Amino acid sequence: MNKLISAIIALAIVGLMALGYTSTMHHRAHSNGEEAAIDPKEVIFDHLGDAYGWEVPFDHSSRIPLPIIVKGANGWHVFSSARVTNGGTCEGFYMAKEGDYKGRVVEMVNGAEVRPLDFSITKNVAGIFISAVIVLCMMLSLKRWYKNQGFKAPRGFKGMLEVTVNYVYNDTIRPILGKDAPRYAPYLLTAFFLILTMNLMGLMVVFPGGANITGNLAVTMVMALCTFAITTFTGNREYWKEIFWPDVPLALKFPIPMMPLIEILGMFTKPIALMIRLFANMLGGHMVVIVLVLLIFIFSTMFGLAMGAVTSLFSVLFALFMLALDTLVSFIQAYVFTILSTIFISMAHPVHHHAEAKE
Amino acid sequence: MELFKLEFGLVFWMFVAFLCLFFLLSKFAWPAIIKAIEDRGELIDKGVAYAQEAKSQLDNAKTEADKLVAEARSQQNDILREAAKMRNQIIENARGEAQVEARKVFDAAQLSIEQARRESEEQLRREVSEIALQIAEKVLRSHISDDKAQQELVKKYLNEVETKN
Repeated sequence: MNKLISAIIALAIVGLMALGYTSTMHHRAHSNGEEAAIDPKEVIFDHLGDAYGWEVPFDHSSRIPLPIIVKGANGWHVFSSARVTNGGTCEGFYMAKEGDYKGRVVEMVNGAEVRPLDFSITKNVAGIFISAVIVLCMMLSLKRWYKNQGFKAPRGFKGMLEVTVNYVYNDTIRPILGKDAPRYAPYLLTAFFLILTMNLMGLMVVFPGGANITGNLAVTMVMALCTFAITTFTGNREYWKEIFWPDVPLALKFPIPMMPLIEILGMFTKPIALMIRLFANMLGGHMVVIVLVLLIFIFSTMFGLAMGAVTSLFSVLFALFMLALDTLVSFIQAYVFTILSTIFISMAHPVHHHAEAKE
Repeated sequence: MELFKLEFGLVFWMFVAFLCLFFLLSKFAWPAIIKAIEDRGELIDKGVAYAQEAKSQLDNAKTEADKLVAEARSQQNDILREAAKMRNQIIENARGEAQVEARKVFDAAQLSIEQARRESEEQLRREVSEIALQIAEKVLRSHISDDKAQQELVKKYLNEVETKN
């Protein structure tokens, strides 16, 4: 029975691959005429970057429209992205075709393209909202379980959630932060689950997923800034003393404040490392998968359909492997972000400096 | 490098979404979830400790029960032994008492027999003496019909009395 099911699934996957492959080639051959070559860079940046609409599978032209909210030269404007995506102009706004603002909504002011203040619900923003709502629903459902079932251990998905919460809180946050744990746990747990959900949603190819959210520097920057703000604003006197007057030989801090300078630099490198690590890991994973898939089309335009078919087998296998790896990386990076944030917060609350140094 | 460009709108919405999520979860979810997990952990710990204690108590109870049984058995033996001893003693006492009583009864009987014998002896003697006296009287009356013989006899008796005294 299991073998039969696996065979049917495998056949369905191969069928879908063949369908997608021929339709794409067909589409390309028709729309581009004789010039069937694709621009890999454009495709990659298209997939990794933000957009005003959300792609639908097997269709290159239509997008799920999302609201555009901009403040231009004459006030606020709200309209659907469907009205500007295919070269349209709405209320004076249109999508820039080239230049610095390529693919972004701009308006013409005094003969120059000007970027308005853009609060649009783009693909990434919508993805963030969806992820946040998912996290909210998951946690509230878990909470409702405890409220209704008392001391009964949750089963299935809720059980998995509980294990994860327990792992992050009891096995990571509490051992590091000690008695401070309950104070910072809400931030760390929220960060962990939001990042994890956004990572995993990014790996899904179709609608609710597919937005490269955590592979966007703006998103990781916000997360890193939160950690930076917490460490900076809740750091105790000991923390600041270690920065400006660390426990090192006098020559290292006076008259040239070498160690204080390094420590101050460290204040900023820590969150920046957080930001870049998450961003680069997620971006890299997505990019490798896209490049692997693109290889099919590059090879088939270069060497013909047969070569493309052979490449597709290997590419899909590798892409599958990469996606599996990315699933792992999604969890690891969310966890790494959380544990490093926890460590930075605990470093901002040194209790007994000398006792710690001895250990 | 358009990948490294920061979109202000995205930063803004991310911040808003994260803050909303943070406040909602830290108000409605995290404390409750963490508390529930910790409470359940505590409950399980307590349950395990309770079970262990109960088990050790059960084990102790068995040895204690064994001890009690052994104690009871030895006590029973003691009691039985004591009872046997007491029984023997009671029998012994009873026997002694019975002997004493028997002797008393025997003595009393002997005494009364002696008394009866003495009484009957006395009575016999009295009767014998009376009969003898009567006989003697009769004999005397028939024998001593003359005064001379009477005076002779009186004199003899008087002498006898005088020598006796």
